[in-house]
Amino acid sequence: METLELFVRIGIYTLMALVLVFALGVVTLRNLFHCALCLAAVLIGTAMLYVGLRADFLAAVQILIYVGAVMTLVIFVIMLTEHLGEKSIRQNNRQSPAAVISLSGIVVLLAALLLRTPWPVTDKALQAKASVMALGKALMGTYAFPFEVISVILIACLIGAIAIAKKDLPGEDVS
Amino acid sequence: MKEIEFFVDLIFVNAKGWCLDLLGHFLPDWTVVLVSIIISAVVIMVLGPLVMMYLTLLERKVIGRIQNRYGPNRVGKWGLLQPIADGIKMFTKEDIVPAQADKIIHFLAPVIIVIPALMVFLVVPFGERMTAVNLNIGLLYFIAVSSITTIPIFMGSWASRNKYSLLGGMRTAAQMISYEVPMTLSVVPVIMMSQSLSTNTIVMTQAGDMDLHWFVFTPWGLVGFVIFFLCAVAECNRPPFDLPEAESELVAGFHTEYSGMKFALFYMAEYMNAFTLCGIATTLFLGGWQGPLFPSWLWFFGKTFLLICVMIWFRGTFPRFRVDQLMGFAWKFLLPLTLINIPVAALWFFVPEQLAWIYSVPILAVSLWGLVKLNRSFVPEKRIYPLAD
Amino acid sequence: MTLFGTGVLKGLIVTLKNFATSYFRKPDNGGIFTVQYPEERAKEIESFRNFPFLVYDGTPEKIRCVACGICERECPPKCIHIVMETEAGTGKPAKRPAVFEIDYGLCMNCGMCEDVCPFDSIYMDHAFEVTASDRTQELVRPKETLLKSNDYFLKIRPGTATPVDQKRRAAEEKKKTAQAAATPPKTNP
Repeated sequence: METLELFVRIGIYTLMALVLVFALGVVTLRNLFHCALCLAAVLIGTAMLYVGLRADFLAAVQILIYVGAVMTLVIFVIMLTEHLGEKSIRQNNRQSPAAVISLSGIVVLLAALLLRTPWPVTDKALQAKASVMALGKALMGTYAFPFEVISVILIACLIGAIAIAKKDLPGEDVS
Repeated sequence: MKEIEFFVDLIFVNAKGWCLDLLGHFLPDWTVVLVSIIISAVVIMVLGPLVMMYLTLLERKVIGRIQNRYGPNRVGKWGLLQPIADGIKMFTKEDIVPAQADKIIHFLAPVIIVIPALMVFLVVPFGERMTAVNLNIGLLYFIAVSSITTIPIFMGSWASRNKYSLLGGMRTAAQMISYEVPMTLSVVPVIMMSQSLSTNTIVMTQAGDMDLHWFVFTPWGLVGFVIFFLCAVAECNRPPFDLPEAESELVAGFHTEYSGMKFALFYMAEYMNAFTLCGIATTLFLGGWQGPLFPSWLWFFGKTFLLICVMIWFRGTFPRFRVDQLMGFAWKFLLPLTLINIPVAALWFFVPEQLAWIYSVPILAVSLWGLVKLNRSFVPEKRIYPLAD
Repeated sequence: MTLFGTGVLKGLIVTLKNFATSYFRKPDNGGIFTVQYPEERAKEIESFRNFPFLVYDGTPEKIRCVACGICERECPPKCIHIVMETEAGTGKPAKRPAVFEIDYGLCMNCGMCEDVCPFDSIYMDHAFEVTASDRTQELVRPKETLLKSNDYFLKIRPGTATPVDQKRRAAEEKKKTAQAAATPPKTNP
């Protein structure tokens, strides 16, 4: 069994490395479509990491929502807007240094927070398996309010999108 | 008698068990686990392409009969070797890559599209105790993994640098996103009834007496099944929903620029998707491997192939949808119907059976009628040609 | 008012019926009308025409063709090639073809040669299994392979061949009687 665990460990680290490589690809590649594909790979890799952490449900939802829907939408938008002839874009501009500084600040902040948080690694916590039913009960019970707030926000987005996309009637004021 | 039945039922499971037992005498424990995984993986890797090969033959035969011809019947008895001949032809064909294509992505697209198509085989319960991996989120896994399929199609269509490919890719995206919504929602009643996402448990809850307590025999199950099946046909881009590869408009859609083995991989993914979608439809609504008399795997494959034959029958019958009709059908007809179906199923859960029939049938019938009325198709004014007579 | 979906069901039933009847119905009754060629053959239709052939009466020496070259001139794709034979001693034209070749690779099966031939010599054949392993040489058919007997012609196209025969026989009789009428005055006196 130890050998098997070793394999799993090697696999997990390789996966993490791959996710990092693809993440780098997202921000450095000069072709927008390649960037989008790298992003999809990152999201799938993250989902696989979730599987490694025994969060199957989260992994499946991640793939369904992010890869299946959001990424498709992103690629759709790229295809609609980007000229296919233009192969490359610049990934950096004058604001890049400022962005790097502020981002590294955030990274430091997050790392400090992560390191300071006591992570209760107990046997019970390791064995715990978040069942779908428990998740559902939590969403509809304990976290009902945030859940509903999110749904209201989504509805607002939907209505906003329709309002923007709607054709102006001839008599209506365009301003 | 019962024992024989049991033996036949579990023949494949037992065969694998014996192999592992035999190996367990010689090899350390961890290799046995590994071998167990490898056996399942190899079976699926062989089953997928094999099913695909013979689906093409079945399709050509049935379509041929529908059009009053014999299908392929020259290579081997009843053309049984035809798929192999096709395979050889595909292997030996020249692999053409367009000069302006994005070479890497053009190569990757057909490779990647096969992966989700094979991965979904993992959760399909082929028979009693014959699910490769009994995930407790099996159904969600299926929906999630099959939703990846859009990305390789996009990759192929974009990397080809061909406007037909690109149009095909765009249509695929629009179609797959639209039909995923009613498909996922039509599954919800099943999850509510079986209280589980595991495909195995869903099949178990459909046992009942005579093993005929299938969900399709309830009003919500019937509606759900029809919606799921129509969405499944749309998801694997088969006629009448084959707009992404509409050959009369887009040459071949997203795989216009593919030839040889790469094209074969696209083809393979499509047929394997058709098979798994029919398999899941069987699992969810037609009782999976449940059924009297025959062994469980025979029931499963029988039902699945019946559904596939219906798909082929559709192909032999219907003309292609128009894009606006396609979208309208998903968003204005199927989606509201699924949304009505969910409360009806909830009602069924809480109300005793006879009463539930009395409630749910009229509700569904009225909503169906209302949706049909609201969806009345736009008929343009009849044009008058003054010079025609 | 028709119920929603009846059209769809009607279509499905039509195809299902086609599928089912293809197993036991006859071709003209909704069954399969494919003719599986090497094993089965479609019924030959008399007016079917393919490549031209030359007719001879009795033996191949009695060829009807007089090498007039009308077909050669009329042939739209110019696939016929004729050289007239000359008498061995005198060098006069012999009204027989020395060379008569048709390039099947060029022939477009129009049948104009048949129409224009005043000597009922060239006709369109029924043989359609024409193969060659080479596209320039072997498809050029010489006189020897083009020649076919009148009996064969009668067999494959009785509708055309019988009137032709009658006409020819009548012409021959007429010629004979004319000859008979022309000769007696010479011998009588």
